[in-house]
Amino acid sequence: MQSGRIRATAVVVAAALVVTTSVSLAEESKLKIAGTTYTKWLWGNMRDDGSLYNFTTVPGEGYGDNGQGSEIELFILAKVSRAVEVKARLHSRFNQNQWTNFGGWGGPNPPTVPCVGGDCGEMDPRSNQYVKLRGVTVVVTPGYKWIDAATIGASDFGMFDPWVIGKIRYIDRDNGSGVLFQGSAWDRQLTYDVVRISLPRLWAGPNYTTGEFTAQDAAYGVQLKQTFSPKFDLREIFQYVNDMEVVGTDFDLDDGREVSQRFRNSVVGLAFGFHPGSAIDVGGSYYNSVSDSNSLYAPASFGIGGFSPVPAGKLDDEAYYLNADFNDIAGSGVTLRVQGFHIGAQYVSMMAARRESDVLLTEGHDAAYMYPGPSNAAFGVFSNNPTRLGIGGWDGNAQQLATINVDNEFTDFDEPMAETAIGWEGATITPVWTKGALELSGEYTYLTYDTNWQAFGDDSRAVNSTIYPTMEGDTGVGHNFRTAYAPFQDKETDIALAKVKYTFDVGKGLDVWGKVKTISETDERLNEERYLPYQPGDCPGGGVACANVVRNYSPGNSTSSIYGNPGVITVGANTGYQWKPFDDISDDDRDLSYWMTQVGAGYQLTNDLYGALEWNHFDADLEDGNTAMQAYNLHEMASGQHRKDIFAAKFKYNIGGAEFGFEFQYNMAEFEPDFGGGFVPQVADVAISQAHNVPLGSLGFTGRFGGWNSLEDRDFTQYRMKGFMKVQF
Amino acid sequence: MRKFVRFAALAAVAAFSLAAAAFAQEVEFKDPSGDDNGPGTYTYPTDTVYKSGSFDITGFAVRVKGDKATVEVTVNSNLEDAWRLGGGFSVQMAFVFIDTDGKEGSGFTKGLPGTNVLFDPKGAWDKCILLSPQPPGRVRNEVETKAADMKSAIILPTRTRGSSRTISASVDLKELGSGDPQTWGYQVVMQSNEGFPSGNDLMTRKVNEYEGQHRFGGGNDGDCDPHVMDILAGSGAGDKSEIDAQHQMLEYECNADGTAKKLATLEMVHKK
Repeated sequence: MQSGRIRATAVVVAAALVVTTSVSLAEESKLKIAGTTYTKWLWGNMRDDGSLYNFTTVPGEGYGDNGQGSEIELFILAKVSRAVEVKARLHSRFNQNQWTNFGGWGGPNPPTVPCVGGDCGEMDPRSNQYVKLRGVTVVVTPGYKWIDAATIGASDFGMFDPWVIGKIRYIDRDNGSGVLFQGSAWDRQLTYDVVRISLPRLWAGPNYTTGEFTAQDAAYGVQLKQTFSPKFDLREIFQYVNDMEVVGTDFDLDDGREVSQRFRNSVVGLAFGFHPGSAIDVGGSYYNSVSDSNSLYAPASFGIGGFSPVPAGKLDDEAYYLNADFNDIAGSGVTLRVQGFHIGAQYVSMMAARRESDVLLTEGHDAAYMYPGPSNAAFGVFSNNPTRLGIGGWDGNAQQLATINVDNEFTDFDEPMAETAIGWEGATITPVWTKGALELSGEYTYLTYDTNWQAFGDDSRAVNSTIYPTMEGDTGVGHNFRTAYAPFQDKETDIALAKVKYTFDVGKGLDVWGKVKTISETDERLNEERYLPYQPGDCPGGGVACANVVRNYSPGNSTSSIYGNPGVITVGANTGYQWKPFDDISDDDRDLSYWMTQVGAGYQLTNDLYGALEWNHFDADLEDGNTAMQAYNLHEMASGQHRKDIFAAKFKYNIGGAEFGFEFQYNMAEFEPDFGGGFVPQVADVAISQAHNVPLGSLGFTGRFGGWNSLEDRDFTQYRMKGFMKVQF
Repeated sequence: MRKFVRFAALAAVAAFSLAAAAFAQEVEFKDPSGDDNGPGTYTYPTDTVYKSGSFDITGFAVRVKGDKATVEVTVNSNLEDAWRLGGGFSVQMAFVFIDTDGKEGSGFTKGLPGTNVLFDPKGAWDKCILLSPQPPGRVRNEVETKAADMKSAIILPTRTRGSSRTISASVDLKELGSGDPQTWGYQVVMQSNEGFPSGNDLMTRKVNEYEGQHRFGGGNDGDCDPHVMDILAGSGAGDKSEIDAQHQMLEYECNADGTAKKLATLEMVHKK
C-alpha cells in the first residue's frame, strides 16, 4: 500500500516536473544587465572638500567644491514571465569617495566624527566606496480586467501630481517604496492609480522626522482620470499621510501596544483639461489640504528661525491654478500662455514634489542669490557659517514648488534651484514668438502673498512662538529657497523679462542668446504702529539709555521679544546706541530694484564638441531694513548696492558612447552696505576679526544675538569648475 | 519702477502679438489631433512628464530658403525641457522620412531600429532627418552603432530646437539630394526620446502591452508592434478620415512568442 502511494507520488512529481520544465522553457527568464559609470571633477577656490557635492544643509554631511570621484550603477532587469518583471539597481555612491581616498583607505582609525571629506575611510560607508541596493521592484501584469499592473517596491511615484504626491527623489530617483496598483475601465476612458507609500522617515513629518515608531507610517493615494473625449478630461486625486507613534503611557503589553497619531495630512484635488483645438488649451486644478501635528510628538511652535517641513498644529487651506494657452495666434507664430494661481499659506501636502517639478509658469527668482547674506551665507553673522555655494549660487532661475519641504540637498552649482511658492498668488503671462532661427520670449508676473500679515496673522500669540517655521528668513536680495513665512509681511513683487535666441547661419551655426530680467519688490513688513516694540520716545537718544517700556500688541505680547532695545556704547569719541532702536514702522521696509542681464554664444566646434560662453550681470539696489531689524538678528544684513558678474565657459563632448560635460565659472561681486544711521559703529578687535573673517579695525556692529555685521564694502571673487564623464554600457 | 516694469511688459506682449510671419518655398502638411495612439490602442506612459498631446502631430512643414531646408514638426502640447537637455524639448523624438526620387523600390523599406515598421516599396525612403533633443554627438554614435547600414541616409541636424509647440531643425539642402521638395514624399514618425534605450533601439521608447511609468502601452511586449505614436496619413490635410488611414497603416500581427507575423507598413504622403 505504502509502496503504491510512493509510486503514485513519484509519478505526480515527475509529471509536475515535466510540466514545470516546459512552462519554464516557454517563459524563459531574460536577465538583462546594463550600466552607467559617472565620474565627477570639482575644483574651486573655496577649498572645501567635505564631499563631492557642492551643497547640503544636512547636519553632519560634508560639502565641497574640490575633489574627484567615480561611481557605477548596474541596472538589472529580468522578464520572468509575461506577467512578471523584476527590476533593481546596484549603485555605488561617491559621496565622500574622492580618488584621494585611495580606494577607501583615507582616514584615521578610530574615525573622527562627524565623518566629512572621507576622513573616516573604511569606517564610514560614505567614504569606503560602498554599494547600495536601489530600486528593487517587481511589476506584475496579471492580465485581469480590473488591474493592469501592480508595482511592488521602489518607484519615484512620478505618475501622480506634484501638488499632491510628487516625484520623490533624494539623490537617487527611487528611494521611495510602496505598493502601486494601476488599472482601467471603459476602454481606458477611466484609469486609476492606488498607492501605499511607506513614509520616508528622513523628511516626511514635522521636524523632518516621522518620530520614533516609523515602520508602519505611510502615505496613501488614489488618482482617477476620466477622458470623456479628446477635448475634455478630468482627474481626481486624494492623498492621506498617517504618521503613528506608540503611546508611551500604555504599560499593559499583554494586549499589544496602543498607537496614536503624530501627524496626519489629507489632500483632495480636482483637475480638468479642456482642449477645444490646437489653438486654445485650458486646464486647471483645485486642491484642499488638512493637516494636524500632535504636539505630544511634534513641535507646537517655533522661534523666529524654526525649521520644519510643515507648520505646527491644525491647518487647512487651498491651492489652485488656471492655465490658458493660445497657440499661433491668427497664424502669427505667437503663443501666449497665461496662468493665474493661489497657494494658501497653510496649504500642506507632505508628499508634494520637493525638487523634481516646476508647478508654476513663472521663472521666479534667480538662483545666484540663494541665501540672505551678500556672500550667499545663511546665519552668516555668526562664526563658522560661511557660504557653501559661494557668490555664484546655482545656475539659472528657480523652479517653484507647492511646499516648504523643498530639497536642494546634495546638488552642484550647475543644477537648478527649487524654491517654495507657498503663499504665492498672482498671475503670469508668457508670450513666445518664433520665426525661423529667431525666438523671442518674455514674461510678466505679478505676485502678492497669502502670507501678507502682521504677527504671523495671529495677534494672540507671541511673534517668537509661532506655528510657522521661517527657515532661513525672508531677507536678502533673492528668495531663500524654503522660506515662505515672515512675522510681518506686506509684500508685492513684479517679475518681467525678455529673452532672445538666434542662430546665425555661419559655419555650423552660431547660437547667440540674451536675456534681460527685472524684479521689483516692496515689503512694508511691520506696518502698524501698535506692533512697534516699545512706547514712543522710549529711546530718547543723546547717549541716554532706553527706558524699555514695552508696547504690547495684545495682552502679554510684544515685538520687543525679537526687536529688543540697544544698549548705549562709546566708541572713541562717539557715544550712542549699539544699533538703531526699532521705533518706526519703516525700520524694516524692503524695496528691491533688481536687474539681470545675460548674453551668450555657442558653437558646434566639431561634430562631437559644443562650446559656449556666457556672461551674467546682476545689479540690485536693495533696502532691506536697517540696524533696528538686523535681518531678524540671524543673518547678514543685505541693504545696499549689489553687483555680480558670472562668466561661464561650458562644453559638451560626446565620443563613442561617452558623454563629457564641463563648466567653468569666474565670478566677481561687490556689496556696498547701506544700513542707515542712528547707531554708533564699532571696530572689529582681534576676536571679532578672527571669528567673523573681517579685517582687524574694520567697522561694523554687534547685534542682538551677538552676531557681527560688517559695514565695510565687500569684494568677492570665486572661481569654480565642474566636469563629468558619463558612460552607458 | 513698478509702473515702468508693467508698461514695458505689456508693450512687449503687444509687440509680440503684432508680429507676422512670412516664408519662402514651403511644403506643409496637417495631421488630425487625437490620433496619438499608434494603431488606435496605444497609451502614454504614466509619468506626468508625458503631457497629453506631447506625441500628437498636428503639423509638418519643410521650408526652403537659400541652400537650407528647415523641417518643423508641430505637436498638440507645449514643449517642455523637463530633462534639461538644452534644446527646449525633452520627451519627443521625430523621424522625418523622405522619398526624394519617387522610384518604387529605390531606397530603404526597413524602418530605423526600434520603430518596428516597414515602408511600402512604392515609397521607400531615401533620407531620414532625425529630430532628437539629445546632443548630436550622442545621436551620431547611436546611429553608427545601431544603424550603420543606413548611416549615409540619416541626416543629423547640428541643432534641433523646440519652441512653443514646434520642433525644428535646419539642414543643408544638398544633404537631401537633388529634386523639388514639393514633389517629394514624406512620412513623419513620432517617437519618444529614450536616454536609456533597450538593446538595438535607436533611442526609441518601447511600447508594451501595459503602459508603465516610462513605457507606452496598448501594444505587445515583443517587437512585433510598431513603436510609433503618430504618423502622417492620407493626403496630410488633417482630415479626420486620416485617423482611420493611420490606424490601417499601423496594423500589425504578432506570433505567440512576440515575434512579428506582419509588421506595420508605412506609406509616404505627398503634397497635392
